[in-house]
This record gives sequence, C-alpha cells and structure tokens, in this order.
Amino acid sequence: MSFMERFVSSWRKFRTPGYYDEFDYAWGMTIDLDRCTGCKACVTACQAENNIPIVGEKALARGREMQWIRIERYWEGEYPNVRLRFIPLLCQHCDAAPCETVCPVSATYHNQDGLNVQLYNRCIGTRSCAVYCPYEVRYFNYYDHHWDAPLEQQLNPDVTVREKGVMEKCTFCVQRIRQAKDHAKDDGQRRIKDGEVQPACVQTCPTEALVFGDRNDPESEVSKSMHDPRAYRVLGELNTLPSVVYLKKVDADAG
Amino acid sequence: MSVSIVPTLRVLLPAARIALVGLLGLIAGFFANAAFFPGTSPEQPIAFSHRIHADENEIPCLYCHVQARRSISAGVPSVNKCMGCHNEVATDSPQIRLLTNYWETKEPIPWIKVHDLPDFVHFTHKRHVAADIECQTCHGPVETMDVVSREAPVKMGLCLACHKEEEVEHGTDCWTCHK
Amino acid sequence: MSKVDRREFLKLVGAGGVGAGAGFMLAESLKHPTEFLIPYPVPPEEFSPGIATWYNSVCGMCPAGCGISVRTREGRAKKIEGNPSHPVNQGRLCALGQAGLQVLYNPDRVTAPMLQHGDRGSDAFIQTTWEDGLSSVAEHLATARDSGIYFLSQGVRGHLAMLLELFMGELGSEHLLHHDFAHPHSLYAANSRLFGEDHLPYYDIRNTRYLLSFGADYLNNWLSPVHHSLGFGHSRQGNGATRGRFVQIEPKMSISGVAADEWVPARPGTEGILALGLAHRIVAGSAYAGDDVDDWAAALAPYTADRVAEQSGVPAETIARLADEFAGAEPGLAIGGGAAGDHTNGVDTLVAVNALNYLAGNIGKPGGVVFNPGPVTGGPANKRQANYQAMQDLAENALRGEIDVLIVNNTNPLFTLPRAAGLSEALEAIPLVVSLSSFVDETTAMADVILPSHTYLESWGDDMPQPGVGFSVGAISQPVVSPLYNTRATGDIILGLAGKLGLNQALPWTSMEDCLKDGWRQIFTRGSAETENFDAFWRDVLVSGVWGENRRRTDAIVIDKRVIDDIGVAEPEFSGERDEYPFILHPYLSTAMYDGRGANLPWMQELPDPMSSIVYGSWVEINPTSAGEMGLEDGDLVRITSEHGSIEAPVLIFPAIMPDVVAMPIGQGHDALGRYARNRGANPIQILAPITASASGSLAASATRVSVSATGRRAAPVKTGGVSRQLGRDIVRSTGGDATPDGHDARLNSIPIKVKSV
Repeated sequence: MSFMERFVSSWRKFRTPGYYDEFDYAWGMTIDLDRCTGCKACVTACQAENNIPIVGEKALARGREMQWIRIERYWEGEYPNVRLRFIPLLCQHCDAAPCETVCPVSATYHNQDGLNVQLYNRCIGTRSCAVYCPYEVRYFNYYDHHWDAPLEQQLNPDVTVREKGVMEKCTFCVQRIRQAKDHAKDDGQRRIKDGEVQPACVQTCPTEALVFGDRNDPESEVSKSMHDPRAYRVLGELNTLPSVVYLKKVDADAG
Repeated sequence: MSVSIVPTLRVLLPAARIALVGLLGLIAGFFANAAFFPGTSPEQPIAFSHRIHADENEIPCLYCHVQARRSISAGVPSVNKCMGCHNEVATDSPQIRLLTNYWETKEPIPWIKVHDLPDFVHFTHKRHVAADIECQTCHGPVETMDVVSREAPVKMGLCLACHKEEEVEHGTDCWTCHK
Repeated sequence: MSKVDRREFLKLVGAGGVGAGAGFMLAESLKHPTEFLIPYPVPPEEFSPGIATWYNSVCGMCPAGCGISVRTREGRAKKIEGNPSHPVNQGRLCALGQAGLQVLYNPDRVTAPMLQHGDRGSDAFIQTTWEDGLSSVAEHLATARDSGIYFLSQGVRGHLAMLLELFMGELGSEHLLHHDFAHPHSLYAANSRLFGEDHLPYYDIRNTRYLLSFGADYLNNWLSPVHHSLGFGHSRQGNGATRGRFVQIEPKMSISGVAADEWVPARPGTEGILALGLAHRIVAGSAYAGDDVDDWAAALAPYTADRVAEQSGVPAETIARLADEFAGAEPGLAIGGGAAGDHTNGVDTLVAVNALNYLAGNIGKPGGVVFNPGPVTGGPANKRQANYQAMQDLAENALRGEIDVLIVNNTNPLFTLPRAAGLSEALEAIPLVVSLSSFVDETTAMADVILPSHTYLESWGDDMPQPGVGFSVGAISQPVVSPLYNTRATGDIILGLAGKLGLNQALPWTSMEDCLKDGWRQIFTRGSAETENFDAFWRDVLVSGVWGENRRRTDAIVIDKRVIDDIGVAEPEFSGERDEYPFILHPYLSTAMYDGRGANLPWMQELPDPMSSIVYGSWVEINPTSAGEMGLEDGDLVRITSEHGSIEAPVLIFPAIMPDVVAMPIGQGHDALGRYARNRGANPIQILAPITASASGSLAASATRVSVSATGRRAAPVKTGGVSRQLGRDIVRSTGGDATPDGHDARLNSIPIKVKSV
C-alpha cells in the first residue's frame, strides 16, 4: 500500500467508533432511576475517593462546579400534582465519544477497557471537550486548589491532584480497577470477578441503584440489567453509545 | 538617493553584542549546571556503600528493600534492619557511629531519594519484581556504586521503551501508568 | 565592525557572567525539589507502606449507628466505606457518613485543653495541660453540691452511656441528660403507650408492599436512613415481580416524598387525625376482625371521612382509597415522625399511626412492625434524652442558682434550641461550664474549660444501634488513626476525672478500651459466641466490626382497652394568630447539615441540597401561588418573623409545598463552629415558639406561625445544576402510570406559565 492508502486506512480505523475491535473488559454501569432517591451519597463518596477539590462559593456562583457525579433534578407539573425527578449524571464513557474527537492533543481517548481516558499531562486546557460533551460532565480546573491543613491528609495517594488548567471527569475509579487487576494477577493471573471492583459511588449507594461491571461478561449483573425492559440511554438519540444505561423510573398509577 | 538601514543597525551593534554574549552565557551556564551539578548522585546523611553490602557481602536486594515484592514502593530498610548487623559489625567506623546515633535517638535517617517519580505516575514495584525484572535494569549497576547515582533517566521514555519491547499487555495504554 | 574597547569588553564579560548565572539558575529551577525517603526506626506491625489497612468501626455522624470500614494508608485515614457485615447498612453509607473524614482532619478542631481567659464567649482561649484542666474541673466537682452537677451529652449508647451513668451516680447527681435535636421523643412515647416498650421496634421497609408514611423522612434522616434506603431499593426493584408502593403524607415534599408514588399534602398537625380517619374506614368497613373491634369502633366513631377531610384538607375519596389500599396490602406498614410528631398533638398522632398498623394486622410480621429485643448491654437510649421540657427545667434551675457545674459533651443546645428557651441567659448563671466537645460550637464558645474529646475515628467505643434491626446487634468503634492532637477519648476524660475524685472503686478501668473489654466480656459469657476464649472473641469482633445474636421476638401484642378508649387526636395548636402570622413554619433537617453538625465540613457546604440544589446558604421555600400573591421572586430576601424573633433568608419558589406553609432547612446560621460554618445563612430553630407536644414534652418544632415580609433586598442563593425543568429533553424517562404511549403524562411535564428556575 502506498503511504497515502495506509494513512487513510489508519485514519478510518481511528475514527470508527470503538477503535478497538473488542474491548478487554468493557466497563459499564446501570443506574436504576426507580431506586435512586437523590441522597447524594455518591457525590460525597466520589469527592473523597478522587481528591476532588472544594471550589468555594465564588466559583460556584460563576457556574464552575466540580463534581464528577452530580444529581440533576427536574420538576414536573404544578402544585399539588407535582413530581421531582432525580438523575445521577457522570461521564458516560461513550464508545463514540464526541469529546475524544475534538481534543487537539489527544489528551482524551478510548482505551482497551472501554473507558474514556483523561490524561492530565497532555491536556492543554482548550476546554473544547467540555463543549462537545452533550452530558456536560467534564469539569475544568479554573483555579489551583488549596486544602486547609490538615484536610490534605485525607487525599488519596492513588489519584493525581490536579492543578489549574486541566480538564477532569469521572474515571469509573480507574485506580480501583487498576488495583483489582493487580489483585487478580497476584491471585493466579485470573480475570476480575463480577462485583470485585466497584467505583466509590456504586459502593456507597444506599439504595443499590448503581451497578457496575463488565459488559463483555454476559453473566455479570450489569449485563443482565442492561437488558431490562426499562433500560434506556440518556440522550441516546445522539448516538454517542454511552456505557451507562439508565433504567426508567416507574410511575405507578394513582389508585 | 537611497536610505540605508545600515547606520541604524550599526548603532545597535554594541547592544547586540552584549545580548549575544549574554545568550551564549545563558546556554553555557545551563549546560554547566547539567554537567557539573546533575544531582544524580546526592550526598546521603550516612555514606552507605552498596558496593560493600551488595557486592562484597552479597546481601540480596530484597533483604533490605523488603516491600519491593509486595507493594508499590520498594521502601528503604528501617533503622532496626541496619542495626540487626551493625550492633556487632564494624561498630567503630565513624559512619556506623552515625548510624548508631540515629538508632539510639530513635530518629529515622533522612535518605535523599535518587530515583524519584512524579506524583502522577503509578509505578508498582510488585508487578515488575513479579515479572522477574532485575533491579539493575532500571536502577543501573547499584552493586558497584559507593554512592547511589541515577544511571538511567527516570523518564517516560525508559518505561515506554521496555513496555513496547516486552509487549506488556496494555503496557502502552496511558492509564496503565498515569493516575 | 567597530572595535571592542575596554569598556565594551568589560560590559561583555559582565553580560556573559550574568547570562551564565541566569542559565545556571534556570537549570536549577527546572530540577525536582529534593525528596526524602524516610524509613521507620522500627517498622509498625499494623501496616506496610504502599498497602492500605482497613479498620472496622462505627459511624458517629448521626444516631443510626451504621458500621464503617475505614481505609488507611501509612496511618492516615483516606476513605470511609460502609461495613458490609453490619446489618444496619450492609456496606452502604450516606453522604454525611462519608464526610466523617473532614471531622477528623478539620482545621478548626480543638487541639488541646483550653481555658477561657477573658469574658465568657470572648474566644480568648489559652492552652493548658490535661493535668491542670482535669484538676481544676475535679476540684469544682468535689466542692459542688451533688444536685448541682449537670451533665448534658449528645445521645450516647453502649458503654460510654453506661460510664456516664456510673460517673454521675457516684457523684450523687440525677442530672444526666442526653440532648439531640432530632431525637424522636414523641415516637418513643407513642410506642410506650401502645406497646408498653421503651425502645423502638423495627420498621421492616424492606419486605413491605405498601408504606404509608406520615411525615417521616425515612430516606433522609428519620431513625436509620441508610437501612431504610436499602429496604426501599429492595422493595422497589429487588423483590421479583412485586414493586412496593410508597405514599408520603406531609405539608412539604421531603426526599421521601420525592421517592414516593403518591405525595399527599395534608395540613400541618392533622396527620394523626388523617390516620384515625383511615382507621375509621378500616374498622367500619369490617377489614378488621379482632376481638376488640367494638372498642375501636367506638373510639374511632368521630373520625368520619367528611370531618377528617375538612380538617386535614385531604379529599374524602383519597382517605377512603388510602385506607382500602393499606388494609389490603399484605403486608403494609405505616410509619410516622418528622414534622408529624413535632406538633402539640404529636404523641397522639404517632399512636394513631401505630394503631393503623395494629388494625391492618402488621404487627409482628415481616414487612410490618417487628419488635426488637432489648439492648444487650450499655446504657439506656431514651430514658435520659432531655425533651424540651427538661431543657427548660435546666434553664430555670440555672437561673435559680441551682446549677454549680455544667459539663457539655458534643452537643450544641445553644444552636438546636429556640432562643425562647432562654438557654443563653441560663448559661450565664452557671458558675462553671465545662465542654468536652471537639469543636468550638456556640455552646462550647460559652465554656470556661474545654477538655477536648477525640473524634469518633480516634476513639474506642461501642454501639448497639437503636432502633435495632429485629435482632441484637453490637459493634465496636475503634481508633483508625493515632490521635492527631492532644485530645482524649470522652470515656478517658471521664475516667480521668473519676480518678481525681477518688472514684476508682466504682470506675476501676484504666482506659475506655479497658472498660469496653470488661463490658464485652459479659456479652461473651452469654454463651451465644462460638469462640474459645475472650481474646479470640474480641479479635473476631474487631476484625468483622460487628456482633449479632439471632434472637428474635415472637410475642403477641395485646393492647389495653383503656388505651383504645383514649385514642384520639386533637386539633394542633400553633403559636401566633393566623391574621398576624399567616404561614406555618416547617423547619426540616437538611441532607448535608443534619441538625447543624455538618456545617463545618466543606464537603457538606458544597453539597447541593437535593431538591433545591442550593449550596453555601439558607433559603425559605414558598409555594408559587403564595409567592405570586406577595409579589415575591426567587432570590428576594425576606424577613421571617414569629412571636419570638425574626430571621432573614432568600426566597425559593417551591412547587411542592402547601400554600400556607413555608419551609426552611436546619443547619446553617452558625456564629461559631469554625471557618466553614460561621456567618452563613440563618437558623430557623432560633425563632421557634416554646411550645411542646403535650404528652412527651418535646419541642413542637412545626407549630410556629410566622409572617413573611419582603425586605426589598436581594440575596440570590448559589445554585448548581441546570434548568430545573426538562423542557422536553427527555433526560429522565419513566414508564407506567396513566401515560401517553411514550411513557409520559403530558400534564405532569408541563412548563409553568412563569418560567422561573427553581
């Protein structure tokens, strides 16, 4: 093949969604909206696990929040026939992620585990990925962050502390996945078992609304719940192929 | 009648000479620093010689650096490990007296880290020791060193070269090493 | 080329030198700072560097008593998880529990014993030694009158509670009080009246098919929210084909109201009347066939559907339907609490709710009300809890000069009691106020001596969760890190004082750990443990974090005829007249702050309130129609005035609240408690009226009428998140219900006429 032909074929392969033919582990999550009560335990657990900084009131007033998982709330109706809906939104680790296509320095890409990787070292802070993300789950470090001593003693050594100028987002607690793989290797070079690795949000959810696991494994809990008749993907019509599947809330009849 | 720029430039010539010499000086100073003060071989609080311990006395690496086999960090031996032998061995030597002083005052010895990776790198000794990689591969011929010096550049190129050559599973995925 | 003369040459040499110097420094600055490798003199046995060590303990952030597992690295606590073996939370944990790390590492902790050097409340604390602090307090205790020694503690259980009992007993004082704002006094009183028990039963939400909640925010902060959430999740989607149905009755939608299938707004204080209306229908419709059916019919006769509908504002058809559904559910469960219990008729209300369970046949059955065995060991949970009446007595006693010494342990009544209680003036009349708290909160700011306690992550302790989970459970709380500062465990402070007072006979232990082991020896010798000796048993309990005994109760329940005859709920009373104070104030425990204790945790300040998504402040929730009538908009600063004071807060237009009720979250409005809590928001408890539930003496916190007036200023609160209506984006999808084909009810998805973000 000529250089041009090789180049075009590589480029096509790169741009085809899911540029791995198959994922090694295909990490996915289901969120059952019928169980979620909006208690925000997942939000705090994520903050503790991932060294998420406190941005302060001024930054929040400018809309510069920093929560890798957030609970959106939507009102429906008017008093007294009024309902409130909660939905946890986190990086969907889309297999056809818009954010991955726009990064000029390739700081975000899809890895062999189906995860959307964010590399702080490469990121130059153009923030285009945040603009492209339809779920608005990417957060930019507008400030260098500060922890009043001794709060920094709580920081997790397995997670980088980010500085001003880089983009960050949910990683499905990759440090836990890494540790689970390490463990599994020690334990006779086996695969990670279902339920062995859980991101912080999944582990703490009091209603067990979040389920995490390997979509490639048809026996895993997450695979089974993805085939629930209530399953859907948020903004699914945009065809971003998210790895997070939501289960519809059930509205029981009144009477 | 043409107007020439040359007279203007001539006026600036002294300043340009100064700037040029200054720039050359900058470059010279920079490389002088790299050549004469590379910091790869810092002076340690006790003149511990790996040559005496690892080569002459044939103590295996993992005898002192115990954690290397089971943890992300290899660690440095605790003071009581040194005292295990040096309670009896070479107690007169001035360096051993320094060591004994640390032990008796229950002070940890403030060794200076020679092979330092940035905080955003996840490097686990356990996996590399389990893969039967010799310590010398990255740390150089430590058993010949009287003062530990950083032989290999501890930069990403070193890691990536080996990961590519050895075809480590997912070894070139960024999230394998970057936290 | 012009010649280089001497001057030029020297300039060039200078430039070259400066350049070289600059280059050198540039290279220097690009180098890593020196890092050290610090070994241990002797390596610790408990952990290896680089490998995490986990400790099981008990969460201390609220009274539920969930078990936790704390991940530590190199002696520092990094992450709190739920303990999977603990039956209360089964590996899960709420947001406040996760934030416990910020209690441990809080920058505003009291780091050593302190003495007030200036006037009380002047914050002129100076450090002192434990020896001096303990001696000084012991001296005062020795010279005080027996009856003049008062001990006011946060609610404690287990062996610390027992230790406090012993200590105060030895001092000859009866005045040992526990004070938690959210303690469900009325619930305990109602259970006592109907079932004759002094501890709460287990509300089996997990196995129920129909939950009728009268004001109890069981998913957020009523009793044991994590356990209830687990049960809720299971009942919803973990139960196979059946999906539990949840109905919430309250004047303002709570978190539990959001999760419910049906939210029924009922007038504040009429929840009990409504419950009896349902009971009336159950008995009248012959759904109940017990022997005492005639007694019930007679007692319930006045609670006809029409009358109850008029009093509560709930339509008669709804009353009938709810009653039929509840009685028909096998099993169903009715619970009550929160605002429903915080009225003058609070106890009667909760008795009525219990009566519903009795009539529907839910008592003693899975999915209903299951009786708990009594606590295996440790001090009493409810008996010592000071209701509002008791706190008022304390204040009066103080003003009469009857209190010589007041010891306060990690409770903050100056914040959690209304100003009308007069506690501020009362404290001034007490000669010595000692605080054992870990933080300088409003009450501790008034102390003369602070003998600071460890936080719960640094302490030995134990807990038998209340309410239990249907069988006996005990858990040990152990230190997960070495103490950070010169503080001591509360139990050790008590033992220290006891030592100085020569009370070693009665309190012979050298430390809290010692006392615990002694107490748990008795549990060991009960014989239900299967280990050989106590040391092995102790180690097993520490490693698993929890101990349990599979001893369940199967007794039948018989309700005394007199109790049935006395069943009845009076109309609620409020402070203030309706014309002057048109709104009823509904203060509620916020998710992040609970009763104010979360306000000094930055994670909790930055946690958006689930329903309003507001951070870092207070707000008052007003119905859209009421706000429209008063010309109020979102973010307008209003003054909320009761007969006992006024506060200011910005308006939040809130669609799920009754038109004549306004609601405010509790937790902000501190003027002490550290940099994150101070001078932020307003505390609605301050302006509450000193009105109590008649049968329990507890504060009727929902019985205060207020007026709301615009100040003309704006103070828009900081909100996170996007627009609060989906606007057709279909982000949250639902299924079922009286739905259009794509699963939506167009009516429920309407865009309001005035598009204001909520």
